[in-house]
Amino acid sequence: MATVARPAEEMPRPNIPSANIQLPAVRSYQQVNDEIIATLTPTGAWFIGLGIAITCLLIGIGTWIYQIYMGLGVAGYNPPVMWGVYIITFVFWIGIGHAGTLISAILYLFRAGFRTTIYRCAEAMTVFAVMTAGLFPILHLGRPWKFFWLIPYPHWRFIWPNFKSPLVWDVFAILTYLTVSTTFLFVGLVPDIAALRDRETNPVRKRIYSILSLGWRNSDREWRHFTRAYLFLAAFSTPLVLSVHSVVSFDFAMALVPGWHATIFPPYFVAGAIFSGLGMVFTIIIPLRRWFGLRHYVTINHLDAAAKLCLFTSLVVGLAYMTEFWVAWFSGNKVEQEYFLNRVFGQWWWAAWIMLTCNMILPLTLFSQRLRRNTTWLFILSLFINLGMWFERFVIVVPSLSHEYEPWQWTTYAPTWVDWSILLGSFGWFSMWFLLFIKQFPVIAIAEVKEIIPPRLRTHTATTDIDAAGQHVDYSPETPGEHD
Amino acid sequence: MTTRKKWAVYPGLVALAAAAVLLSAVSGGSTPQGRAPQQPIIFPHNPHVVGLQMNCLYCHSSANKSPDPGLPAMSTCMGCHTVIGPRRPDGTARPEVAKLQQFAAKNQPIPWIRIHKVPDYVQFPHMRHVNAGVTCQQCHGPVQDMLPVYQQQNLNMGWCISCHIQQQVRYDCSVCHY
Amino acid sequence: MSDTTQQTGVRRREFLKILGVTSAGAATVGCGPSEAGRLIPYLVSPDQTVPGVSTYFATTCRECAAGCGVIAETRDGRAIKLEGNPEHPINRGAICARGQAALQGLYNPDRFTGPRVKRNGQWADITWAEAVQLFRQRLDEARSGGRAGDVVFLNRHETGSFPFFLDQWLSQMGLPPHLAVDPILDHAVIAANREAYGVAWPSLSFADARLIVSFDADFLDSWGATVAHQLDFADARAKLRDAPRFVYIGARRSLTGLNADEWIPVRSGSELAVANALLAAVRGAGRADVAAAAQAADVPAETLQRLGAELASARPSLVLSGVTTVQARDVARVVNAINQAAGNVGRTIRPAEPLSSFEGAESMAELGSAVERMRDGRVPLLMVRGVNPVFTMPKSAQVAEALGRVPFKVAFTSYPDETAELCDLVLPDHHPLESWGDAQVLPNVVSLQQPAMDPVFRTRATADVLLEVAMAGTPPAPGRPVDYRSWLIGRFPGGAAAFATALATGLTSGTTPRVTPRAPRPEAAPTPAPVEGEGDFAFIVYPSPVLGADGANKPWLQELPDPVSKICWQSWVEIHPESAARMDIQPGDVVEVQGPGGTVRAPAYLYPGLQRETVAMAFGRGHTAYGRFAKDVGANPLDALSPGFDRAGMAAWSGSRVRVRKAGDYVQLVTTEGSARQHGRGIGRALAVNELGRGGASGEEHAGGHVIPGDASHEPLPGLRAPIAADAEGDLRDPKKNEVGMYDPAHPTGMAKRRWAMTIDLARCTGCSACVTACYAENNIPTVGAAYQSGHTQGLPKTAGANILRSREMAWIRLERYWEGDEASPDFETRFVPMLCQHCGNAPCEPVCPVFATYHSPDGLNVQVYNRCVGTRYCSNNCPYKVRYFNWFGYGETDRPQYAWPEPLNWQLNPDVTVRGKGVMEKCTFCVQRIREAENRARAEGRELVPDEFTVACAQACPSRAIVFGDAADEQWTVARQVRDERAYHVFEELNTFTAVVYLKKVTYPAPAAAAPAAAGGE
Repeated sequence: MATVARPAEEMPRPNIPSANIQLPAVRSYQQVNDEIIATLTPTGAWFIGLGIAITCLLIGIGTWIYQIYMGLGVAGYNPPVMWGVYIITFVFWIGIGHAGTLISAILYLFRAGFRTTIYRCAEAMTVFAVMTAGLFPILHLGRPWKFFWLIPYPHWRFIWPNFKSPLVWDVFAILTYLTVSTTFLFVGLVPDIAALRDRETNPVRKRIYSILSLGWRNSDREWRHFTRAYLFLAAFSTPLVLSVHSVVSFDFAMALVPGWHATIFPPYFVAGAIFSGLGMVFTIIIPLRRWFGLRHYVTINHLDAAAKLCLFTSLVVGLAYMTEFWVAWFSGNKVEQEYFLNRVFGQWWWAAWIMLTCNMILPLTLFSQRLRRNTTWLFILSLFINLGMWFERFVIVVPSLSHEYEPWQWTTYAPTWVDWSILLGSFGWFSMWFLLFIKQFPVIAIAEVKEIIPPRLRTHTATTDIDAAGQHVDYSPETPGEHD
Repeated sequence: MTTRKKWAVYPGLVALAAAAVLLSAVSGGSTPQGRAPQQPIIFPHNPHVVGLQMNCLYCHSSANKSPDPGLPAMSTCMGCHTVIGPRRPDGTARPEVAKLQQFAAKNQPIPWIRIHKVPDYVQFPHMRHVNAGVTCQQCHGPVQDMLPVYQQQNLNMGWCISCHIQQQVRYDCSVCHY
Repeated sequence: MSDTTQQTGVRRREFLKILGVTSAGAATVGCGPSEAGRLIPYLVSPDQTVPGVSTYFATTCRECAAGCGVIAETRDGRAIKLEGNPEHPINRGAICARGQAALQGLYNPDRFTGPRVKRNGQWADITWAEAVQLFRQRLDEARSGGRAGDVVFLNRHETGSFPFFLDQWLSQMGLPPHLAVDPILDHAVIAANREAYGVAWPSLSFADARLIVSFDADFLDSWGATVAHQLDFADARAKLRDAPRFVYIGARRSLTGLNADEWIPVRSGSELAVANALLAAVRGAGRADVAAAAQAADVPAETLQRLGAELASARPSLVLSGVTTVQARDVARVVNAINQAAGNVGRTIRPAEPLSSFEGAESMAELGSAVERMRDGRVPLLMVRGVNPVFTMPKSAQVAEALGRVPFKVAFTSYPDETAELCDLVLPDHHPLESWGDAQVLPNVVSLQQPAMDPVFRTRATADVLLEVAMAGTPPAPGRPVDYRSWLIGRFPGGAAAFATALATGLTSGTTPRVTPRAPRPEAAPTPAPVEGEGDFAFIVYPSPVLGADGANKPWLQELPDPVSKICWQSWVEIHPESAARMDIQPGDVVEVQGPGGTVRAPAYLYPGLQRETVAMAFGRGHTAYGRFAKDVGANPLDALSPGFDRAGMAAWSGSRVRVRKAGDYVQLVTTEGSARQHGRGIGRALAVNELGRGGASGEEHAGGHVIPGDASHEPLPGLRAPIAADAEGDLRDPKKNEVGMYDPAHPTGMAKRRWAMTIDLARCTGCSACVTACYAENNIPTVGAAYQSGHTQGLPKTAGANILRSREMAWIRLERYWEGDEASPDFETRFVPMLCQHCGNAPCEPVCPVFATYHSPDGLNVQVYNRCVGTRYCSNNCPYKVRYFNWFGYGETDRPQYAWPEPLNWQLNPDVTVRGKGVMEKCTFCVQRIREAENRARAEGRELVPDEFTVACAQACPSRAIVFGDAADEQWTVARQVRDERAYHVFEELNTFTAVVYLKKVTYPAPAAAAPAAAGGE
C-alpha cells in the first residue's frame, strides 16, 4: 500500500548493491526529457558564475603575459627549487582528470549502475581538467614560445626530441588522454544531442545540434552500433586511466632527487589521481543536483556508493604515504632519511600535515554511513580533499628540491602573487568551460537514465518522489490492462 | 549528407594547414636566403676577382687566420683607387669609385650593409673552413659573378650539418654553439 | 665573429667609431634596412691586429699597492679580460678577484665622462681647455696667495715614476710634496720593519717555515701583497708532510684564520701581552709572562705554553703581525723581535729581497693632520687623485666639513666618490688600463704599465694635464716631453727602442726614481690618540677581502660572497653565537653598534670565529655616493670609530670598545649559504697529515657509520673514462654502419680520444674566490644583485640583493664554506670547496632534457646548448651538485630592467661566449671556447695540442694554483697524473655520476700535543 516517506531513523540502513540502483521517482521517459532538458535554460546565477569564471581567467591571462615578457623570475622560484606552483597545479589537474574516465569507462565495464547519473558530469570535468592541466607544462617553460620543440615533427634542423625524457612522454600521455576522453564524452553525448535536436526550436542551435548528433535517428541499428562503439571506447580508455598518471609520475620517479626517486610512484599517483578526481566530482555534483533539482536522479545512494570508492582510494593513498616513509627508513639512504624527516618535522611540516590530514585522516569518516549519506559533509570533505591533493603535489615537488644532496644549496620557497593569480586563472579556465557545457548539454545522460528507470512505466501514487534518506518508496500494484 | 561531410572535413584541413605553416615558420624554416640589399657602393667583385685575378684574401685578409674574415679597410681600397680614379682612360665614368673617393675624402668608413649573418649563438671559425679547403663559393655562392652580392645559401643549421656529416667532421652541438 | 652584434645589442662597431672614425658624420651603426645590421670597416687597419683574434698587452695592476703584472686581452680594440702575467715576479701569472674587476672600473657606467665644474652647487660639463684653464688660474691664485706651502695634493699610494714626477711638478710649482695615501696599508708593520730591517716589506718565505704564527696578519685577505703571499702559502701547504703548521692568533678568525690549523682566540688588545709571552718563550724564559698573558687573553695558559715551546723548537718559523689596534706598532716590534730571536730573519723573512711596493706610503696620521689643516682653513687648494678620505676616514673626523673650509678643490678622480662629489673641479684621470706608467715591485724590477685600449670616455691622464699646466705659455722646446709617455721614455734607459721591447713582457730591470724621503717623524704618538670608548664588546674593523677600500662600485665584487660570511651586496655585524643568544639576537636582526665616534647599524651575522667579547664589521661598503652599484649599499663601520692612530700613525681600526644592542627591525641576510654543515655527505674531505701515505685508506665515515665510496683508491677513476662512448655504442649505433659517429674513438675527428677533466686540490685552496670572479669575466655571467635589478622580483624589498635572497646568483663556480667539528669551540675546522659543473661522464641532467639542450660531447664535456634550451629546468632538478643556473630575467637583454651590463660595461663581454637570453639554463662549460680556440690554433699550425697548452679561466686566475685542467685521457697532461693522487675523490660518487672534476683531500695538521688522527672530514 502506498506510504509516505518514513522518518530516516526508523528505517533499516540499506546497503544497496551498486548494480541495481533505481530511480523510483522517475516515472517516464517524458519526465526524463522534460526535467533534464529543462536544466539547459540559462539562469541569472549561471551568468554571474560564468562572469566570475571569465574574470579569473582574464586575471590569469594578464599575469601570464606579464610573466612571458618579464621572465619566469616574477614567479616565486627559489633555486634549486626550479619547479613550483605550476608543476604542482599541473599534476593536480591531471589528477582531477582521472575520476571522469574511471567512472564513465571502468565502472561501465564493471556494470556499476550508480555511475549512470554522475558519469556525464564527471566526464565533462575530466575533459576540461585535462585541458587545464595541458596548459601548465607550457606555462612553466622558460621560453614558452618554443614549446613545440617537444613535439616530434620533421624539420630542417635534423633534431628530434629526446625520447628518454619523461617530459616528452608527458606530451604523448596528455595528448592521447585528451583525445580519447573527448571522443568518449562526445560519443556518449550523441543520443542526447539528438534528443536536444528534436526539441530545439532555435534554427541555429538546431542546426548545430543536428550536426553534432551525426544524424542520430534512434534506430535499432544505430543503437546496436552505438553500444558496441561505447563498449569499445570504454575498454580503450580504461588502460589510459592507469597509464597517464603513471607517466606523469615518471617525471618525478625517473629523477634521482630524494623523495622523487621511488618505485611506488605510479600506483601511488594513480590512486591519488582517482581520489582527487572523486573529490572534485563531489564538489561539483552535490551543488549541481541541488540547483538543478536533480536530487531524484543523483540519489543519496549514488553518492553513497561513490563515497565508498572515495574511501577506498583514500586508504590506498594513505598506504602509499606510509610506504614512502618505510622505504626511506629501510633503504638506509641517509639523504633520503634526512629528506623525509625534514618533510614532516622540519621546514615543511605544515604542508605535510595538511596533506596527511586531508587525504588520509578526514576521509576515514566515510566509514560511517551516516556521514556518507550526509551531502553537506560530503561536500565539505570534498573541499578538504581538493586542498589536500594540491598539497600532496606541493609536498612532493617543493621539499624535495629544497633539501637535496648539496647542503650548501638547501633553500626555501615562497610563491608570489604571480603564481597565485595563474593558479586562479586555471580555475577560471576550468569553470568557464564547465559552466558553458552544462547549459549546452545535459549533465545527466538522458539515454542511459532511461535505461534504468522502472522497466514498465508504472504510475506512482506517492506524492513525494523520494524521501529524505534516499529511500525508494514502494510502487502501487499493477493496474490491469496496462500491456494492452 | 554531403553538407555534413563538408562541415566535418574543412575545419580539419584548415587546422592542419595552419599548424604546418606555423611550425615551419616559427621553427626557423624561413631564412633571409636571397637577401640582396642595396649597398652604399655597388661594389662589383667581378672586375677585381675575375678581371684582376685578385685573391679573396687580399681584401678579406683574415679569413684564413681568424674566425672573422675581415673587411678591407678604407686604406686598402684607396691603395689602388687613389690611382684608379673615377674616370676610365676612355673617359667613361666610374661612378662607384667616385663615391668611394668621397667617403675617403670625408674620412668616413663605408657603412656596408651586412648580408651573411649567422645568429650570435653560432660560432663560425672562417679559418678552419678556409684552411680545410672549403672554397668561399661553397658557402657564399659565386660571389665573383654577383652584382649585387646576395645570400645564396640559406645558412640553416641543417645545411651546415649535412656538409659536416658528409665531410666526416665534428657535428655535435658544442662545435658551434657555446 | 667580431662583426656580429651580440645578443645584448652591443654594437661592437660603436667602439670602432671611437677607435677609427674621427669625423662626426660617422655612419650610424646597427639596424639599417636589413636586420642583419651594418659592417663598418676600419679606415686604416691597426698593425699586428687581426679582427676576431685577441691582442695581448702586458701592463700593471693598480687595484692595490702590490703592483701585480697583468696581461690585458683585447679584442677589436677593447679590453675584455685580465690575466696574471706569468713572467711577473710578484704574482707569477695569478690574479685576484679585485685585479680581475679592474675591468669593471674601466667600463664603469658611473665614471666621469669628462671634466666637470661645480657652478653654484650644480655640476656642469666643460671642455678640457676650459677645465685646464680654470685649474691653472686657481693654481696660480693659490701660489700667489702666499700660502703655496699649504696646498695639499693627495695621491693614491703607488710606486714607480709618477710620485717622483708629481713631486717634481709640485716643487716646480713651488708647492709641498704630495701625500701618498693608502687607507688599508699596514703602516705599523712597515714602521716596525723599517726599524728592524730598514725595508718596508721583506719578502716572506712560507715554504721554508716549519711553523707559521700570525697575529691578525691576514696575508690571504688584504695584508701585504696577498697574491704573492697566497702563492707562497699554497706552495708551502702543497708540501703536505713537510708543510708548516699554521697558528692564527687574534680576536677574529679571518679568511686567513680559517686556513690556519689552530686558532687562539685572544681578547682584542691582549695581543701585545701574548706576543711578549711568546718572545719570552722563544728566548727560553718567563713562565710568569705566559700565565699573565693567558689571563689577559682569556685563553688557557697551556695553549700558550705549548705554542711557545713549539715556536722555540720549530725552526725556522715565521711570525707575522697585522694587528690594527692602538698597539699595532708595538706588537709588530715584538713580533720582529721574536723572528730575530727564533733566527727567522734571512731564512723565512728576507729583508735582502724586499717588496718595493710598500715603500713611500704616508701614514694615515699624515692625512689626518692634513685634514686638520683644512679644518683650520689654512689650505687654499686641495688636489685629490684616487683618494677618498671622506669615506676612508671615520665620520667623526669630519673630513667633509674640513673639505668645506677649502676654497677650491680639484679631483683627478675617475669616479663620483664622496670626495669628488665635494670638489669644485673634476679633471677625470684615465683608468690605469688606459694610461702609461710603471711600478717598482722589487728593488731592481720595474713593472711597466701601458694602455690596453683607447680611453673609453673624455678623460685625460693626470700626468699629461700637469705637464700641460706646467708648459702653459712656454714654447715647446726640443727634448721637452710633450706628454707623460715621452717623459717616461725620455728617462728610460735605452730610450724608445728599449722601452718598446720591454713593453712586450711589461717588465724591466732597474729602478724608478724615488721620491725624496720625508724627515723622520718624532717618536711622540701622533694625535689624536684613539678614544677608547666604553661598552662590553671590542670592535674590530677589517678591510673586506673582496672589496678592498674602493671595490664597491664593481658589481663583480659586490656580488662575490665574502669568503667568510658568504654575504654579498650587504654589510653585516659579526657577533659570536653565544653573545647573540645572550642578547636574543637572531641572524638578520639589525643591531646597533655604538662606538666612540658614533653608531652604525647592520644586520647581525652569527660567526663562531670570534672571541666572545668581540663584534666585527668589514670595511668597504656603506658609500653615500660612488655610483649605482655602491651608493646606499651596506654601512660603513668607520662611522662608529673615533679618528685615532697608533704610534706608527696607522688608523687604529680595532680595539675600541662598543655597545651593541638590538635595533628592533630585521633584514634578511643576503647570503649564498644554505646549510653551513656537510651533514656527513663528504663534499669537502680532509685527512690528518699522519694519515698520508696509507693509500687513500682513510675513507671518511658517514655519521651513519659506513664509508662513502669515492676515495680514488680504485683504478682507474671511472669518471675519467668517457662512458658516453660506451653508451653511444648502445644507443647511437646504427646496426647497418659499423661506426658509432663521433663517439667512436676511431672516428676521423678523434674527439672521443680526449676527456677534459679537472682536479681541485683542497690542500691548496684557501677560499679566496678569485676563480669565481675570473669565471664572471670569462663567461659573460650576469650579476643580478644590483638594486635596479630587483624591481620585478616579487615579494621582496626592492633593495640590492633581492635576486640573491631568492638564490638566483649565477656564479658558475661557487665557493662552498663548510664548518667542521664543534663550532662552539675555537677548534672548528673549515672546508672550502669550489663547486662547479662536474661534467659527469654519466650525467643525470642529460637524459631528462626533452630537447637535447644538454648532452655529452664526445670529448667528455657536458654541454649546454643555450639556443636549444626551452627552459623546463628539469636538468637542474636532477643535478645532485646543483650547479645549473637559470636566466630568470633578461639579464642579457638591453631592453630589460634587469640588464646586467649597462653601457659601457657591455664592452667587456667576451665575444667568444654567447650572452644568454632569458628563460634558458646555463652552467660551467669547462671554458669550451678556450678549448675550441686552442684546437683551432693547433689545427692552424698543423699540430696536435701540446700538453698543458692552455687552461680554463678559474685555473688561470687561481692564486693558490689549486685548480688543474686538462685532458685526463692523455698521460702527458698534468691533470692525468693528479687524478692518481692518493687524496683524490669524487663528490657523491655513490650516485655513479662519473664526474670529471676530481677533488684532492685537504690535509690537516693537528697540534703536536694532540696529534691523534683529528678532523677526518665530513663530520
